[in-house]
Amino acid sequence: MKPKIAFFDFASCEGCQLQVANLEETVVDVADVVDVVEFREVMTEQAEEYDIAFIEGSITRPVDEKRLKAIRKKSKTLVALGTCAHLGGVQRLSNQWSAKENLKEVYPDAKRKDITKNEFFEKPRHKAVDEVVKVDYVIPGCPIDRTEFIKVLVALIHGKKPPIPDYPVCVECKKKENVCLFTIGKFCMGPVARAGCGAICPTHGNECEACRGYISHPHERAQIDVLDEYGLSADEIMHRKTMFTYRYIEKEKEESK
Amino acid sequence: MKVISKKDFNDFITTLINDESMDTHGVKSKGEKFVFGELESYEDLRLDYDTTILPPKKYFMPQYETLMHCKLSSPFDINEDEPQKPLILIGVHPYDIIAINQMDVYYCNDDVSKSYLDRRKNTIIIGSDVLNIHDKAFFGSMNTGQVKNGYDLLLTDLGDKIAIEIGTEKGTDLLDKAARVREASDVEQQKVKAVRTAAQGKAKRGMKIEPKQWYSLLDQNYTSKVWKDQSDKCLACGTCTLVCPTCFCYDVNDEIDLNGESKRVRTWDGCLLRQFSEVAGGEIFREDIKDRYRHRFFRKGKYLPDRLGFTACVGCGRCSTQCIPDIADPVKVMNLVFDNSETFIHDKEKQPTSISLDSIEVDEDKAISLHHPFPATIKKVEQLTEREKLFEIQLDSGKSLDHDPGQFVEVSVMGIGEAPISIASPPKRKRFDLVIRKVGEVTNKIHEMKKGDKIGIRGPFGKGFDLKQLKGRDLLFIAAGLGLPPLRSLIAHVLDDENRKDYGKITILCGCREPCEVLFDKEVRNWEEIENVEVLRTVDRCSEGECWDGETGLITKLIPKANFDQKNTYCMIIGPPVVYPFCIQILLDLGVPENRIIVSLERRMKCGVGKCGHCQINNLYVCKDGPVFNYTEVKDLPEAFE
Repeated sequence: MKPKIAFFDFASCEGCQLQVANLEETVVDVADVVDVVEFREVMTEQAEEYDIAFIEGSITRPVDEKRLKAIRKKSKTLVALGTCAHLGGVQRLSNQWSAKENLKEVYPDAKRKDITKNEFFEKPRHKAVDEVVKVDYVIPGCPIDRTEFIKVLVALIHGKKPPIPDYPVCVECKKKENVCLFTIGKFCMGPVARAGCGAICPTHGNECEACRGYISHPHERAQIDVLDEYGLSADEIMHRKTMFTYRYIEKEKEESK
Repeated sequence: MKVISKKDFNDFITTLINDESMDTHGVKSKGEKFVFGELESYEDLRLDYDTTILPPKKYFMPQYETLMHCKLSSPFDINEDEPQKPLILIGVHPYDIIAINQMDVYYCNDDVSKSYLDRRKNTIIIGSDVLNIHDKAFFGSMNTGQVKNGYDLLLTDLGDKIAIEIGTEKGTDLLDKAARVREASDVEQQKVKAVRTAAQGKAKRGMKIEPKQWYSLLDQNYTSKVWKDQSDKCLACGTCTLVCPTCFCYDVNDEIDLNGESKRVRTWDGCLLRQFSEVAGGEIFREDIKDRYRHRFFRKGKYLPDRLGFTACVGCGRCSTQCIPDIADPVKVMNLVFDNSETFIHDKEKQPTSISLDSIEVDEDKAISLHHPFPATIKKVEQLTEREKLFEIQLDSGKSLDHDPGQFVEVSVMGIGEAPISIASPPKRKRFDLVIRKVGEVTNKIHEMKKGDKIGIRGPFGKGFDLKQLKGRDLLFIAAGLGLPPLRSLIAHVLDDENRKDYGKITILCGCREPCEVLFDKEVRNWEEIENVEVLRTVDRCSEGECWDGETGLITKLIPKANFDQKNTYCMIIGPPVVYPFCIQILLDLGVPENRIIVSLERRMKCGVGKCGHCQINNLYVCKDGPVFNYTEVKDLPEAFE
């Protein structure tokens, strides 16, 4: 029996699922080893249970939480797919303001009753999937890396722990023999960001923004010192840190309370 | 020494590049920096470079290297990648050549790595004297700016012509492809000498001590405040080790693809990374960044000199250039340690003898694929406790494992990986026992296996118990938790009818957390029946309703209750890290001499052959120098019992 896998999307751009849909010739090999039973982007069928459920997107409203919990109940293994599911995504930045403020900003002309009476507008707050249900594994990244998706899928089929690295992007960047961005006056989250992407951004001359989150034990204090030494203001450091990683800031704020 | 005009040199290099039978790589630019890479034309070659981002070690120990591959459906039909074309490497600076010489010693001493040797023999090295010195380079201070061997040809750019020193016959043959090569004149030879002297003289950055004094400086400054102060700024990103030409540590992982093919892949690893010393149970033996930071300098300046007789730094300056917080620079750090060292004495007596890198002899017949396992069959499986199973295993070759009690094997499940497991049965049997606790993905898989299934075995590895030393003595065994299986190997050996007469009184102390975790209960009770054998058993706690007829309390409580002659007894301790300091202290207090205490230590034994670097306790490699150690060997090592 081939394992049944399914894909679900919540608040996201669906780019991670698109990465999967775009596997091209590899898709045939994937179909040889698994049964895709639900995947709204490419098919209409639905199923009763899943061996592996991949969840894309941040969890935003009570109605989403309800749906996610129902999926969890039907899934043996649940994998958070991409940064939105892993950390809450770029949209998590909106958690800085109240739900009311956000709605007013986005829908300035909407009538009050249209919003308050509608479950789709109920208290939008962005959460990562693991803040709502148990997550077994995470495939980080914005978007996810296709090769890594395959690696994780194969590992799960063979009862192996998915090989998501817990060392910094610098490791992969050095192995690629890239010119370190720091040495040419740029800065980069590489020293604290989780590897696995093959240092794709620095390889193309772009600064790493830690879309895969931090490694499990970053020496964050040292990172701030470094950025400081390179003449950046605290504000810029915070800005760099929030693009994909506002979840950590929220956590810090909560802990300092 | 030969000389060739620039035009003829251009033609020579072009001929090499156009030769399809080999790959021609050399130094070329990448942005404002330089790298070794494939040359497309003569114009690519930049002999005026200062330093490359990565050292040429990437050619002999690639960043990612497939060591073997197989189909999961037939896991022991092991294949290797096809050998690559011969490689010509142009422009290697002298300090990097010395680093390669050191690497030769590292990979070809004792257990000779076949994959390394193959790549090395497949490569022609054309060195190049340094014309432009990187501002962080200090090879002048390290005396590594000039080189006597390790190259096939050595180039010195003299402006309109190139001087060529021939190092080997391979070099001579290659130079046959060049036109109009003539002998160098005296003046030209003088010019070459001047280039070398200038480079050596310039590449100094005010290191306050000689490289040969590093050993004493480090030896006397393990507790220097510099380690903490500097490592506070460390990002633990691993860069300093990855870009270093003399950092050779690696990791090995199994990968599976969609088509059911499995690969065993070696990748660069670094001791600055947190997981470097992590074992399957989750314990990390060098968790503090300070310890990892210090380890790197000690490995270069003390541990490798101890083991192989060379200081593993060639002054290339790559770590200093690429460390973002600027704390990796050996010149800066050694000077800081020196400045903070109140009483530095260059202790020549203690200094290990330096080896000469001028002629490295390699026993090529000994070269083997270090990470290929041998097929074996599970003959019996017995569930011992909830977490532990006993596996009786026989090598498919039909040979005995031929191990010493205390040694271990690496058990492979293809596609998943390897786990180091102590051998739990006495030597000289056709089959051997492994007691395997379910703690990681490899051991989880093994637990799913049954009689008749195949697994891979490498080993036996390491140093076991010294039977000669134990002969004629009384023996005390302290077995805590999973410490019993490896001790069982020795206990069963000494209690065997054939050997029993060679040993005096045997005292066996067994302890574990709860009655349900007791291993080999029946066997232990049988030992008790043997004459002149005393057995004491304890559990830390016994819940209500559980049946237990031994003692209750920690294993340390059993030691004073045991009746043994402190003056004539060798004491063997194996257990989780926490038991060692307490048990050792009690034995010492009872008057047992230090050299009669023997321990077996667990670390992350990954390669088993002293190459990958993961299992180091200070200068010792647990997989080679241990896991069994006399207490006197490890008592002064800060990392042994922390």
